[in-house]
Amino acid sequence: MPTISLTNLTKCYDGNTEPSVDQVSLTVEDGEFMCLLGPSGCGKTTILRMIAGIEHSTSGEIAVDDLVVDSVHQSCFIPPEQRRIGFVFQNYALWPHMTVERNVDFGLRLQKVPAQERKERCLDVMSKLRILEYADRYPSQLSGGQQQRVALARMLAVNPGILLLDEPLSNLDATLRLEMRAELRRLHQTFGTTIIFVSHDQWEAMTLANTIAVMNKGQLQQIGTPDEIYAEPCNRFVAEFIGNPKINIVDLKASAAEQVSLANHIRSRIATNEFTNVCAIRPEEIILTDTANANTLPMTIENIMPTGGSWVIELSFGDDRLFHSTQSRPKWREGEQVNAYLPTLSLHFFDQANNRLVLPETDLDYNHLLLNSASINQKHTNQPLAKQA
Amino acid sequence: MTILLTAAEQKKPNIWRRARHSFAVARHEPANLIGLVLAIFFAYLILAPVLSILVDSFIVQSGDEARTHQDEGSFTFYYIVRTLYSRISEILLWQPLYNTLAIAASTVVFSMSIGVVLAWLVNRTNMAGRAWFATALIVPFMLPTWTFALAWTTIFKNRTVGGQPGWLESLGITTSNSVAYGYFPIVFILVLHYTPLVILIVGNALRRLDSQMEDSARVLGAPSRTIAFSIVLPLIRPALMSAALLIFADCIGEFAVPYILGLPVRYDTLATGLYRALDTRQNGVAAVIAGVIMIIGVITLLIDVRMMKEARRFVTVGGKGNMDRLRKLGRMRLPASGFAGAFVLIGVVLPLLTLFLSTIMILPGRFTLENFTFDYWIGSNLDTVALRNGILLTPEFWQAAWNTIVIVGSSSMISGVLGLLVGYAVLRCSFKGVGAFLRQITFLPYLVPGIAFAAAFLSLFAVARGPIPALYGTPAILIIALVASKMPFASRSGIAAMTQLGKEPEEAARIAGANWFSRMTKIIIPIQAGPLATGILLPFISGIKGVSLFIILAIPSTDVLTTYSLRLLDYNYDQAANAVVLMIALIAWLGTVLIQKISGTGLAQGLEN
Repeated sequence: MPTISLTNLTKCYDGNTEPSVDQVSLTVEDGEFMCLLGPSGCGKTTILRMIAGIEHSTSGEIAVDDLVVDSVHQSCFIPPEQRRIGFVFQNYALWPHMTVERNVDFGLRLQKVPAQERKERCLDVMSKLRILEYADRYPSQLSGGQQQRVALARMLAVNPGILLLDEPLSNLDATLRLEMRAELRRLHQTFGTTIIFVSHDQWEAMTLANTIAVMNKGQLQQIGTPDEIYAEPCNRFVAEFIGNPKINIVDLKASAAEQVSLANHIRSRIATNEFTNVCAIRPEEIILTDTANANTLPMTIENIMPTGGSWVIELSFGDDRLFHSTQSRPKWREGEQVNAYLPTLSLHFFDQANNRLVLPETDLDYNHLLLNSASINQKHTNQPLAKQA
Repeated sequence: MTILLTAAEQKKPNIWRRARHSFAVARHEPANLIGLVLAIFFAYLILAPVLSILVDSFIVQSGDEARTHQDEGSFTFYYIVRTLYSRISEILLWQPLYNTLAIAASTVVFSMSIGVVLAWLVNRTNMAGRAWFATALIVPFMLPTWTFALAWTTIFKNRTVGGQPGWLESLGITTSNSVAYGYFPIVFILVLHYTPLVILIVGNALRRLDSQMEDSARVLGAPSRTIAFSIVLPLIRPALMSAALLIFADCIGEFAVPYILGLPVRYDTLATGLYRALDTRQNGVAAVIAGVIMIIGVITLLIDVRMMKEARRFVTVGGKGNMDRLRKLGRMRLPASGFAGAFVLIGVVLPLLTLFLSTIMILPGRFTLENFTFDYWIGSNLDTVALRNGILLTPEFWQAAWNTIVIVGSSSMISGVLGLLVGYAVLRCSFKGVGAFLRQITFLPYLVPGIAFAAAFLSLFAVARGPIPALYGTPAILIIALVASKMPFASRSGIAAMTQLGKEPEEAARIAGANWFSRMTKIIIPIQAGPLATGILLPFISGIKGVSLFIILAIPSTDVLTTYSLRLLDYNYDQAANAVVLMIALIAWLGTVLIQKISGTGLAQGLEN
């Protein structure tokens, strides 16, 4: 099973001065389930298309299992039809003039697989993807979810070592997305295929992938497991992009010294240095209580938004606005005063260049957080803060 | 140190490496080769004739050495001066130019006024028999223009020309020249022919209009007059403009109608003037006139491009609401249908009936039983000099019909396939320049009316040049000329079809491991079968109706139905000639119906292209 490695991969489209993909280097190990995650237009689909060979690079190198498939440096380009990489298009690109079975069959026919074996492999993959009953239908007679399964079957039939998926869940409705998510995970386990998929949806990325590569403006931001990326965003972009509701950002340089503000509050508690630019805290990490103490801040509840099983609460402190989210029904009403505690462990700091900054005194705490993040989160939400402090 | 260098090198590959890489990529994209081959092919097929005719206007033509006091082939302004500034330039250019513009402008004005009303009635009102009229009103556009011209002469012909008299003449009513020939009947017929085009284009625009825009105005309290003039009219203005320009351009190049109805009273248009110049071997003057026609074409196109740019501003996010709300006409319901019915009567029933009756009457205009006969269709051993059998029993007719099918059929097939290939090359070619060149050059014949194009072909292919033998008199020159003249339509529909298809089905096939040939034969062509069939049939129909290319390039051995009927007309076998014309109209109509069946789209969309 193959590994894919990208080295300084760059793509400049004609007429664009800004590269769509800028010096991306990453390695996808055999059997990995990786997601390229980023906002639309960040170059993630372009990377996927370059790996498949539908697009060619402007500089840099793509190698599959040590075989260079696209390199300007070596003047080498292997066309997609010779790469044997599966690619499922965002809108599936099924051939409208062929039945489901012919669509699935097509790749095998091209490989001149004997009829008997072809038939068996088709039936096998179609039954695994539960589209056997639609074998004689045309793509236009299928629903979106069925079409996607046909598109997957079409690629899996030829059993490629690598499967590339462009926004696999984006065109499906909520129920189908859950179903397809399970389907894809199951496929990854059964076939052991290396899968790279592209998504702009963090839910999709978090729930599916083993590894997430976050991208922005053509550049790779961070690679890690979903947990790592959520708990330890390497820069402000990743912190803000991952998480719903969005992470709260406090600009530490903005407010004047004597003003009552979150920035001053945080600075009074933690010894920030001259590089510290902004502080961030995830909404669910804020703790609300009735009782006040030295570390809590009196805040006003501006808005309570139920989101079905959880609640998002908008808080105000002076001119600052914060969002808090909770799984338990809030006992306060809009307009009421409440005391909020921002646990030191949960604070993220970023410097002027928006890179993560580890402050000396919180360093240890973070290791602790990573090891026991689940239990600490639990503690945060349920226990009174006197003990915590 | 070395490692550092390589890293830096890799970061910014030099031009040579980049070019080699681009070549490695392009090598796997056959669209590049196709694009280049097509570009060269069309440069020769389209650009060369057009350039050659423009050059001809500055070169002393054979036989003009004495007049110009120069050697054949030397540079001269003689033709320009003669056509534009001499004593006879009034006859050669200015009067025909004035006539042409007058005809085109009047046709635009009248067909727009009638067409918009009919489009509104058909699409937005509860007029009686709406669905039927939606099809019936389009029929005049399917018939060749000169069908109407022949029907007109059958009724109104007077003693100015010899041969069999017109019906009115034989009934004792003398028609004046101004009614029988010239400006009035030409405009009348062109209006009949082009009004359906307005109905199609404007009707489509009306249907696509989002009803929510109207509703919003209504909610704000706008009366229907305000809605019509400040919401609907501005929104369909691009469609109106585009219809007007299309008709204008077509009228400039119209040859058959002025040829039949203008010639008897020496009412020349640019197209007939060009024909006359060619006929009298004034090739240089013909080249200048052709140039003038092309200039008008270019101006029209530039205006059209500008309008389209403006029109794009109006493109709003399409709403789902179609204009399904119909205006109640009340007491006007039947009169409205009467108006539409009158158009169908004058535009379809009367001309066809006239032509048909004329083919079964021995003496024109005598409506007595013994005057009727089917001899001109199926009779044999007639007492005429040449045409001793009815046309359905005449070998020449079937020979001409066969020629038509072979020549027009093969050329439409070629242009349909070429159009698809152009679409493929334009969208896939890695070199932007080639795509743009193809797109523009295949559109060029649109600016050049058929008669000028035929003249250009004559000047280029009449003699052997290099490896290409003299083609005049062979079916090949007709096929090539037809292919070239149909390319604007073929390439546009090819590009549209390929754009609509998108790259993904082919990319998916590449990923499945298909080489170019499998991709073409198993994916692209099967998917595009419908558009391809339409792309072949539509040029076939317009090719069958076409006159101007054939009248210059065909010789008796390559007779097609149109030239055959015109020759019969010249020999005064009016009945037989009209019978042939009816057969052509029948084939054209059947073809249109066939397109409708194949493409599954309404007639409206099919013809609007």
